[in-house]
Amino acid sequence: MELLDFYADWCGPCQMLKPTIEEFEKAHPEVKVTSINIDEEDELAEKYEVSSIPCLVVLKDGEEIKREVGVMPLKKLEKFVGV
Amino acid sequence: MKEYDVIIAGAGIAGMTAAIYAVRAGKTVLMLEERVEGGQIINTIGIENWPGDMGVSGVDLTRKIMAQATELGAKVEYEEVTEVIKNDDGFLVKTEDDEYTCKAFIIASGTEPRKLSDEMMKDAGKRPVSYCATCDGALYKGKKVVVVGHGNSAEHEIKYLKGICSEVYNIHHDDPIPADAEAIFVAIGRLPLTDYLKGFVDLDEKGYVISDEDCKTSVPGVFVAGDVRTKELRQLVTAASDGSIAATNAIEYLG
Repeated sequence: MELLDFYADWCGPCQMLKPTIEEFEKAHPEVKVTSINIDEEDELAEKYEVSSIPCLVVLKDGEEIKREVGVMPLKKLEKFVGV
Repeated sequence: MKEYDVIIAGAGIAGMTAAIYAVRAGKTVLMLEERVEGGQIINTIGIENWPGDMGVSGVDLTRKIMAQATELGAKVEYEEVTEVIKNDDGFLVKTEDDEYTCKAFIIASGTEPRKLSDEMMKDAGKRPVSYCATCDGALYKGKKVVVVGHGNSAEHEIKYLKGICSEVYNIHHDDPIPADAEAIFVAIGRLPLTDYLKGFVDLDEKGYVISDEDCKTSVPGVFVAGDVRTKELRQLVTAASDGSIAATNAIEYLG
């Protein structure tokens, strides 16, 4: 299981989500978390057709299984990822 | 059962200010927040009308106020309030995960953007629809976009996007979307988040909680603060002002 977190430094909701992502990463070492700055890695953002941020994408065996746009608290993030 | 003197629905500027006032008066305080503290202001990069902190970002201001509230002893849980019921001792507050009781309840759940109509969503097709230009504007550098809406917030979005995009169209909420616009930014007003209060307190026809400047509602022991209240000016300072008034009246009610 992998979680992609598309963000940008100028995006307020992304900054608010950051500590939640870090908490999630600590609590769930079984999930690989990758934070992607869309300004620096615009090719990845384009590949995943990210049109709104913060954008969270869950991958299973490298394939996208779901995505959600917007900030959410830890409990909802865990439910969303399914851990 | 988790008992508090004061429960506050929403941890935006109004809710957090109410928490500061109530906890400083020696009350036990819980804020229930559905998503993240701060509310609408976290989308703003540089605030110029909050006294004493020129250019502060909404995120930094939010973090400072939340740190202040929790340092003073207020608690916060990230759960959505689904129902409030009057009982013998006060109020039963239900969330998606839990139940709490309190003797005074403060509504500070704010507003959300009014969504684009189904018809316009169809017109948008596969093109992205955003409700936050400062969040998503930079994804459309040098591209053509359209802003739907004509109010103050629409003007603000247009000004911001003009610095990034090659062309910014502006249309009404029932106009056709220009064919060459690659993204649609929506600013057609906001709606109060009060579904969980229907039948509990008096709401106006739009769903705002009816109250005067005293922040009292139709139910004794229930107060309202911030954008969710019927009022003229919805600003950071008026949200904070409401928070202080609602909390002060809640403290007086608790005796």
